Amino acid sequence: MIDLGKTMNTIGFTTSIPVEIILAAGKTPVDLNNIFITSDLAGQWVDKAEEAGYPRNSCGWIKGLYTACLQTEPEAVIAVMQGDCSNTQALMETMQLRGITIFPFAYPYDRSADMLKHEIEKLMRIFNVGWAEVEKVRQDLLPVRQLCQELDRLSWQENRLTSWENHYYLVSSSDFNGDPQKYTEELKNFFAGVKKRKPFKQKVRLAYIGVPPIFTDLYQFIESLDARVVYNEIQRQFSMPFDCQNLVDQYQQYTYPYGAYARLEDIKEQIRLRQVDGIIHYTQTFCFRQIEDIIFREKLDLPILTMEGDKPGQVDARSKMRIEAFINMLKY
Amino acid sequence: MLGLDLGSRNVKIIEMHNFDITAQLSFDTIEFYRSYGKTGQGSLRIDLSELGFKRHQHMVATGYGKVSVQVEGAIHLPEIQAHVKGAVYQTGYQDFTLLDIGGQDTKIVKVRGGRAVDFLTNDRCAASSGRYLENMAAVLGISLQELSGYSLHPVELNSTCAIFGETEMIGKIVEGVPLAELAAGINYSLYRRFAGMLERLASDVIVVSGGVARNEAMINIIARESGRQVMQLPQAQFNGAIGACIYGYEKFKQE
Repeated sequence: MIDLGKTMNTIGFTTSIPVEIILAAGKTPVDLNNIFITSDLAGQWVDKAEEAGYPRNSCGWIKGLYTACLQTEPEAVIAVMQGDCSNTQALMETMQLRGITIFPFAYPYDRSADMLKHEIEKLMRIFNVGWAEVEKVRQDLLPVRQLCQELDRLSWQENRLTSWENHYYLVSSSDFNGDPQKYTEELKNFFAGVKKRKPFKQKVRLAYIGVPPIFTDLYQFIESLDARVVYNEIQRQFSMPFDCQNLVDQYQQYTYPYGAYARLEDIKEQIRLRQVDGIIHYTQTFCFRQIEDIIFREKLDLPILTMEGDKPGQVDARSKMRIEAFINMLKY
Repeated sequence: MLGLDLGSRNVKIIEMHNFDITAQLSFDTIEFYRSYGKTGQGSLRIDLSELGFKRHQHMVATGYGKVSVQVEGAIHLPEIQAHVKGAVYQTGYQDFTLLDIGGQDTKIVKVRGGRAVDFLTNDRCAASSGRYLENMAAVLGISLQELSGYSLHPVELNSTCAIFGETEMIGKIVEGVPLAELAAGINYSLYRRFAGMLERLASDVIVVSGGVARNEAMINIIARESGRQVMQLPQAQFNGAIGACIYGYEKFKQE
């Protein structure tokens, strides 16, 4: 986590972007989502955005990002205008209103390599870096991406990671906590301990699909019911565990920005590989992805629990009841 | 055997001996917690010995999760399982869709071979529950029983929000829409709130439980709109508590 006091030279972003460009420019990448959700004040930050005029019936993450950005005061923010969420446009515009420098970035919906290359090169021009420098950073990051992949494998194949650990280390790979070297060290230290552990033996294996949860204790609650998450879909995507030739290839294989069908292919492959018993589909309250639930329910052959979260905090009593019933249904 | 269903509006208790119901009680939830509950260790603790039931009998509790309420001496059964067990026991059916419209939530469970295979519930908002009918009946100044007599010629009520629904209905009253059409409109609007979920988990037979199962108009509407066989459980409100007892018999027989 970056020190909020030292924000010069930091570049915020609203969802994963080619972070290699920011690093090549010698700047510190900051995923505003991580700043928001790990803050002790996350709940108040949402209230602050509502006080500023964000509607109550809009996404909690967007509201959290707004305040997180004002608190962090990054040098600039890269806002993903296509491939994430249409609310980002208004988020970007209201940040701009508060004097934040904004650079838009767009993932082409049709996954076209040409269009993606064009967007990447636009970003490279903004940060004044060339292909050679960016490719060097990409190569430098390959070992840490491989570490993430190994950590994920230890989760599902050797059953040595808790649900939360899998979530935490993979979700952090979107910005490597601002410092890839330090993050690599953290991972290596963690590995040393994990390898000595006895494998976990929970009765139910779950897949978690959808954006990371806004709940703070979801994974702990799931494990209290003798179940474990062995697949965190989007968090894993953040670590980009792909065989690829270059930066364009890498961000083209990344599924998250390209809609439900791109994600579906990846999900199908992973749930088969990891032998899960059921799927939790998490969606944010008021999010368009709640509509995409129709597709996942129709195209995936495992029991699905669709969960919804609005504001940061602990899982509410009703959601707990639903998770408990779902896990029990899978047990018997 | 005692089965307890800790619902959001009512607490239901069933006592069984050899599968025969020997006592059934229903309490207002708030009053029940006030009279028999004590807070301790972050959750409400309930002692049933004060209610006059024979001590030392097996007890199974369901309803709001064990994380929220601890019943002294009881084992806990998740709500969905309790309702499925109760419905299988009461109907003798193995394959059906259970529609439980409770005080503050609606649960729809697909049951195959006597077991839950999928379920959906309303999320976050109680607008698709019995509470909505209570509120709207109060606005019209009629009882729930009277409300349950009307299913024909419903007036269109569109609001997603139950509170706005009230405002919308007052508007209709002002327009001079007759009471029968208003009441039918209320029943229809509740149906529409869960119809999508019901269709997604549909079976040839739909078994209705929960307090709203006593609403004849609702049963008529579900049958008419879904074109499926609809069955009211004989003990609709006590279904969860009955299921808890049945689970208790299975569980303690094993031991």
